[in-house]
Amino acid sequence: MDNLILALGWAGLYGPMALGAIGSMIGCSLAGQAAAGALLETETGHGRYIGISAMPSSQSIYGIVVMFALNRELTLGNAPGLAAIGLLCGLALMFSAIYQGRSCASAINVSKIRPEIFGMSLAPAAIVEGFAVFAFIFALVISAGLPA
Amino acid sequence: MSYYTLVTALPDLPALAKCRQMPISRIALDRRLTMLSEEDLQQLKRAESLYYFDAQQLEGLSDQRRVYQWQYQLNEIESEQIRQCIQERLEWQSLLAAMRQRQQGDKGPEQFYGFGRWTTRIRQHWQEPTFGLETALPLLAELQPLMQKGAAGEVEHQINQTLWQQLLRVERSHHFALETVICFVLRWGLAEKQIRNDADLALEAFDTMAKGLIATPTIREHIASAFEELS
Repeated sequence: MDNLILALGWAGLYGPMALGAIGSMIGCSLAGQAAAGALLETETGHGRYIGISAMPSSQSIYGIVVMFALNRELTLGNAPGLAAIGLLCGLALMFSAIYQGRSCASAINVSKIRPEIFGMSLAPAAIVEGFAVFAFIFALVISAGLPA
Repeated sequence: MSYYTLVTALPDLPALAKCRQMPISRIALDRRLTMLSEEDLQQLKRAESLYYFDAQQLEGLSDQRRVYQWQYQLNEIESEQIRQCIQERLEWQSLLAAMRQRQQGDKGPEQFYGFGRWTTRIRQHWQEPTFGLETALPLLAELQPLMQKGAAGEVEHQINQTLWQQLLRVERSHHFALETVICFVLRWGLAEKQIRNDADLALEAFDTMAKGLIATPTIREHIASAFEELS
């Protein structure tokens, strides 16, 4: 049982990084595919499409920061807390990256038709990013209360 | 299969009434559709062949056999919403066929074979102007007088508008899915048909106008004098 609790602690420690990276991979891939299609259809503005497709990569960075904030000597006392914070934060980052990728793909699709709404079409992706930031910040705040 | 690249690679089609030029040629469209898997391409081809069936290919078949064939082919379409779009298109086709058949008066209701929900009702209410369907299909009440006047072009245009709206609704309710691609291709077909019809109409109008002008005595005199000067 002790080993299981410690294993969960390790999963919580590496979880934000791994899950955030998985989400970023999927999100960037979705937005990147949409950007590749838009390149075929448009004459200009190619750089911004590629730029948008990189938006979901921020979740990986948040995951790395949370991982470092949680990094401490694992004990039976802090492992359950690490597991809870790390895995939940990781899941939040993963889903936000995937859905941000989808929002970015939609933004690329509509701004390809009407370039003047490019900025406005990015608002949904920015809102999703906001929720990822919440998960990131409060994981840092909560992690301060974990025993060292 | 991911449709993200393909969907964003498709151009925007303007509203049917504003379509004056195709934003993408069929060759370029087909080249982009090669991004689809073999299975998806088959689905698309089935949908297109039903939506824009070739009347010449079906020429030897009886109406009853034609309806069976459509039903069989429709069951092979996997997407429920695409099936509904095609079904509606074929139902409109059947309604128009029934109206034409009644107008010509050579066949009775018992010889009518149509596709879809309204067939039985059409047979039962054969003598009513809109087959008793004016509540279910308000557009039919608008089309019936046009059919009687023989304004087939206007009837087709109005039906195409309705079909266009339905396809657009389905296309927008699916993001980056096969349905989006199929609906786009079907809408492309409607736009292309309208532009082709417009071009034919324009040629016809030009021809009539030219014949009318040549028939005018003053113009004929001018032409005759111009020829004399030349000779």
